[in-house]
Amino acid sequence: MSENPAQSGVRRREFLKILGAGTATTAAIGCSSDRVEKLIPYLTQPDETVPGVSNYYASTCRECSAGCGVLLETRDGRTFKLEGNPDHPLNRGALCARGQAAVQGLYNPDRYRGPMIRRNGKLEPATWDQALQLLSQRLGELQSRGQAGSAVFLNRHESGSFPAFLDRWLAAFGMPAHLSVDPLADHAVLEANHQSYGVAWPSLSFSAARLIVSFGADFLETWGASVPQQLDFADARAKLEGAPRFVYVGPRRSLTGCNADQWIACKPGSELAIVNAIRGTGSIEQAAQASGVSAAVLQALADEIRAAKPSLLLAGGSGANGTELALAVNALNQQLGNVGTTVLPSQPITSFEGITPAAEVAAAIERMRSGEVQLLMVRGLNPAFMMPAAARVAEAIAKVPFKVSFSSYPDETSELCDLILPDHHPIESWGDAQPIPNVLSMQQPGMDPVYDTRQTADVLLQLAKGSPKAAAQFTAPNYMRWLIANHPGGTDAFTASLQKGIGSGTVERPAARRAPVTVAKPATPIDQTTGDFYLVVYPSPILGDGSGANKPWLQELPDPVTKICWQSWIEVNQKTAQRLGIDSGDVLRLETPQGAVEAPAYVYMGIQADTVAMAFGRGHTAYGRYAQNVGVNPGALLPVGFDPRSGGFVWTATKVKLTKVGTFTPLVTTEGSARQHGRGIAQAVSVDELGKLGTEQEEHEEMPGDASHAYLPGLRSPLASDATGEIGSSVKRKEKGMYAPDHWSQMAQRRWAMTIDLARCTGCSACVTACYAENNIPTVGAPYQEVHTAFLHGVPGGNILKGREMNWIRLERYWEGGEDGGDFEARFVPMLCQQCGNAPCEPVCPVYATYHAPDGLNVQVYNRCVGTRYCSNNCPYKVRYFNWFGYGEPARPQYAWPERMSWQLNPDVTVRGKGVMEKCTFCVQRIREAEHRAKMENRPVRPDEFTTACAQACPSKAIVFGDAADEQWSVARMAQDRRAYHVFHEMLNTFPAVVYLKKVNHPAPAAPAGA
Amino acid sequence: MATVAEPSADLGLGPNIASANRQLPAVASYEQVNDDIIGTLRPTKAWFAGLSVAILCLLIGAAAWMWQIYMGLGVAGYTPPVMWGVYIVTFVFWVGIGHAGTLISAILYLFRAGFRTTIYRCAEAMTVFAVMTAGLFPILHLGRPWKFFYLIPYPNWRLIWPQFKSPLVWDVFAILTYLTVSTTFLYIGLIPDLAAMRDRETHPVRKRLYSVLSLGWRNSDREWRHFARAYLFLAAFSTPLVLSVHSVVSFDFAMSLVPGWHATLFAPYFVAGAIFSGIGMVFTIIIPLRRWFGLKHYVTINHLDAAAKLCLFTSLVVGTAYLTEFFIGWYGGSEVEHSFWYTRVFGQWWWAAWIMLICNCVLPLTLFSQKLRRHTTWLFILSIFINLGMWFERFVIFEPSLSHEFEPWQWTAYAPTYIDWAILLGSFGWFSMWFLLFIKNLPVVAIAEVKEIVPPRLTTTHPPFGVPEPSPDRVDVEGMHPEYLPETPGERD
Repeated sequence: MSENPAQSGVRRREFLKILGAGTATTAAIGCSSDRVEKLIPYLTQPDETVPGVSNYYASTCRECSAGCGVLLETRDGRTFKLEGNPDHPLNRGALCARGQAAVQGLYNPDRYRGPMIRRNGKLEPATWDQALQLLSQRLGELQSRGQAGSAVFLNRHESGSFPAFLDRWLAAFGMPAHLSVDPLADHAVLEANHQSYGVAWPSLSFSAARLIVSFGADFLETWGASVPQQLDFADARAKLEGAPRFVYVGPRRSLTGCNADQWIACKPGSELAIVNAIRGTGSIEQAAQASGVSAAVLQALADEIRAAKPSLLLAGGSGANGTELALAVNALNQQLGNVGTTVLPSQPITSFEGITPAAEVAAAIERMRSGEVQLLMVRGLNPAFMMPAAARVAEAIAKVPFKVSFSSYPDETSELCDLILPDHHPIESWGDAQPIPNVLSMQQPGMDPVYDTRQTADVLLQLAKGSPKAAAQFTAPNYMRWLIANHPGGTDAFTASLQKGIGSGTVERPAARRAPVTVAKPATPIDQTTGDFYLVVYPSPILGDGSGANKPWLQELPDPVTKICWQSWIEVNQKTAQRLGIDSGDVLRLETPQGAVEAPAYVYMGIQADTVAMAFGRGHTAYGRYAQNVGVNPGALLPVGFDPRSGGFVWTATKVKLTKVGTFTPLVTTEGSARQHGRGIAQAVSVDELGKLGTEQEEHEEMPGDASHAYLPGLRSPLASDATGEIGSSVKRKEKGMYAPDHWSQMAQRRWAMTIDLARCTGCSACVTACYAENNIPTVGAPYQEVHTAFLHGVPGGNILKGREMNWIRLERYWEGGEDGGDFEARFVPMLCQQCGNAPCEPVCPVYATYHAPDGLNVQVYNRCVGTRYCSNNCPYKVRYFNWFGYGEPARPQYAWPERMSWQLNPDVTVRGKGVMEKCTFCVQRIREAEHRAKMENRPVRPDEFTTACAQACPSKAIVFGDAADEQWSVARMAQDRRAYHVFHEMLNTFPAVVYLKKVNHPAPAAPAGA
Repeated sequence: MATVAEPSADLGLGPNIASANRQLPAVASYEQVNDDIIGTLRPTKAWFAGLSVAILCLLIGAAAWMWQIYMGLGVAGYTPPVMWGVYIVTFVFWVGIGHAGTLISAILYLFRAGFRTTIYRCAEAMTVFAVMTAGLFPILHLGRPWKFFYLIPYPNWRLIWPQFKSPLVWDVFAILTYLTVSTTFLYIGLIPDLAAMRDRETHPVRKRLYSVLSLGWRNSDREWRHFARAYLFLAAFSTPLVLSVHSVVSFDFAMSLVPGWHATLFAPYFVAGAIFSGIGMVFTIIIPLRRWFGLKHYVTINHLDAAAKLCLFTSLVVGTAYLTEFFIGWYGGSEVEHSFWYTRVFGQWWWAAWIMLICNCVLPLTLFSQKLRRHTTWLFILSIFINLGMWFERFVIFEPSLSHEFEPWQWTAYAPTYIDWAILLGSFGWFSMWFLLFIKNLPVVAIAEVKEIVPPRLTTTHPPFGVPEPSPDRVDVEGMHPEYLPETPGERD
């Protein structure tokens, strides 16, 4: 029986099916430019993990010693963003740039992958067993030789349980207590506070004050707990008429100084004379002579201080007389009755208790040099970098027979060590902090360790098992168990505290060491013969003590004052520069007997004529690809000297010789023109004129199709209503718009908008880093991302020299006044996509890659963008950013997230490929998430239910986001403020959705007539 | 090809002679026209060398582009907010060059300007190749050039069309239309010449090719009538395009709100600039060509003189436009415009602005001198300056505006990189390659049209009464001859 040939083969329909499927498959595979990857689902899904939904673990930020509460946003087992814990008493939901950048420490591509042992002079990977065995053996030898007492343990200062735990462990091995080092601590102020109030750091109430006078205390940067201070300072300034006036006295106008209403430029070290004159223990004339400030100005300051009640006076102690200054200021506060009203010793910040004076660390280093120290252990610190070169730390460390580093990064110190036992990143660790009395800030891991690291506390517990004496004391299997056992209130309290991130109670603190410091090398008064210029070295507000330098977000975040990134610079007064023929970018050489550095000049109005300044934090010789060979370290210039009363390192200690090298290095700056040219971008109003605002009724013509929110001039958006089909028709016609007016998302009724209160904004730039973190913005300035062109080979920040930074929100800093060398004003204005109602970028895009959404958003479609860049040309705010290289493409040399930095990427946000335009989206992913959540819960979106990343992080609470078309949202109220204005709207008819509220200036009170 | 007439090619050509009949005194007969012009088509060693250089330049540009596609646009000198750099400058430069061709071949045809006859073919070919070159730049300046077709309205399942409000979409239409029309115009004009070449060709393959290309032209009256109509129609069709295409290109800028771009002046300003630069380029091409090809007795000094007057006129128009721009910048009272204008002329960008002003406004003033108008070396040197000046004109319009916009915080500088320069060089290579191929494959002077203005074939070897015996050097055809054969094409139409 022969088969029907028509049936034996493939049938026509089948053939067509296969053909269709085959074509589709081929086409689909062919279309994809990336290799196919497999998604493997959980076999057994963990209870808490829902793919695509974030978990938030409450923890504590360990980037500085303040101990702010954070929420670790974690999805599918990876922590990708840190947000401030809104319930935390210290930071109230805010988080600074350094805190935001902690995730880049976690996923840093240069972290140690596992333990390392030095063999034949080279560090080689080892197993934990080998490493622990080696250390155990060394500890045993040390004990048996009776030399355990010579060991030194340097630990980064932290509050909470660990210091006491560590001391107990050390004691169990017969070793002396650890040294708790905080490189940013202001020892002079700590010492003076102890003497005056008995606490290290009283709370400061800026909002209670009527006048704030800072004598070099940079309370918005690294002086004290910057985030809570900034929160309170911003609250104070937001009181407008009731806000305190702020005067800054110091040789250099720092970021804090830039927020002052008046800057009194004095010679370094002369603050004490001024304070004494105000107190009446010195004469105004003497102070005027010492400080170079006119007597009239000092007299006015003295009068003002006496008149204003209450006031808040603050001291920064970086000079040799820092403790005396701080004591004098404390005394003055006491005298003026400020203690108890603006200075609150009854509510201390305990984070700063128990910091070892720098002089003691120096003494330990001297012991190493003399060969007394047999074992050095370092955790979380980099003494080889942070101590000045003149201290010759590396040389001293090399004399120690066995050096152990718990550092997770190949920094200058760990490169000298014999054994590396890499610690967990704080995001992988258990712990706690005690920022204020009776409050415990909990620390828990957000995810499993990224690399083969171990938490130091666990390592110590493991080691304790090897010693019978220690084993008896440390029975806990791991540090988490130890924490639970020692938590006030026990396991239940611990579990409850973890949920909120905050517990109550007090943990054991190491025994207080209030013995007077013995200072081997007391600082001498500044030697006037070593040069013509005083040298002010200040810790970078962004990079801190230099530990931030390996995080590209921080390297790329422009310094809030100079706007320079990826580079070191020397600040020179403009008149001095004129006299010496120096332009910004001219390479200068600074020389002291201790050493010399070369860096480009930054001509700055905010520095004393006979002073030059440099930021500390760059100039690493190791510490990974982002830090190494970027900038120079001004530590090379500094002599080693300590404040004899507090033991703090004296930063302002020398004069330098300044010479022009004759070469030119362009400044890696994001600044174009520092002047507004009368264009009203950053507006301000004097407090006296505040009452006049809003009295004149603004007139505006009726626009066809004005949206319903007509109460708000700039937010009436003809295009927004066009999107809902209102234009040209009195009847709302569904088919004319993209979304029906009654669409469930309420898109057609919304107008997402933002207010930015410039009276609050301090220019700290935390919003910028928050935006980088939230929106997968690539950093472009790393040396390896350099464009290899003939002129810019291998320059860190080369792309930024070409203006290619991608900061969707940028902090502009405009100067006002000061051209004549007098006092000047800094105005900070965060500039981001204004989401214009009548957006110039939209009609020029030939492919509809940018268009207007009904809810007022100006939307950018990456897939559609072909990269004509016309939108950017036509954007008057210049807030559109182009992918000049494949920053988001792993195969490209400019890839911004080398393994495993890419684990940080926010899964809700597309990573952009090369050749497309991008810009601020108002965190559209958060908007849609909130809308969908509301839809799932069958309710409307609640007013102020969510906010953008920048608004969330802002430690000044200057940014408010929401729906301006709904008066229940805060933003709708804020936008009607009398200080409200739009940038460029009057000139260009753009209908921006961002409303700025004018900065409020507090000029000096007019001298009484006849005075 | 050297002809007997060459030594005294310009003989008897006084300046300012309007009569078309005296245009080509050194051309005696149709045969000579065929011989002279088709004779230039023999490739020479110098030509091969020139072509090799052109292709080398093109390859350098192509390599640079490939590198740019691989790495991203960042290899070029873009410095945000200067988002449009040398590529757009060069794009407008080439579009502008493309304008003189159509002006000469179409508008001057309609105006019956006699001097166009011998230079128009060259100018028209220049137009086509310039537009072909220009058309590359909007694509290679894209961030994702492989997606350029998103700008074309084609049916797609996403139902997305281009944004018709965007001047860039208008650009696509304008450039493509212009390329189509100017190519057609060039080809239509070539048909009788192709037939003439076919008739003389002996190589069978080439003969076949020319036959196909000449569409079987048989030189009949009917063909001539259709040809003349078609040519006139296309001339009329192209004329508004000359004005509209560059107006649309100027809208790329004028429709935006960038200070320095946002001006109603832009359309006429760009058109005048385009014609000016195009005539400059015509000089750059035709002056060496008439010397190397021995065509001085075709492209006579009178033709160049007339073209130089046009050049001078457009230079004055362009100069007026500059002054208007500057005046409005100063007078307009807008701080943004004023600040930008100052930066452009006296600030950061003074050097570029003054290169532009000197090359485009000052140097062409020499053309007021008749002596210099008829001095081919000076014309050639001047044309190089005009090309440079017009490139810089676009540079001055685009870069200072973008670098000095509303937001002072984003003010910047701009410097092209070697990738920009390589691609610019490549564009010259691409243009030259086509042009060189053209001059050795197709007649650079319109044979048919030249024949229209040479004396008709005489029925008698004797000159009419009172007319001196023609010498081989000098053919005086001033008087109308009664006894010519009515064969001149179009003569009786």
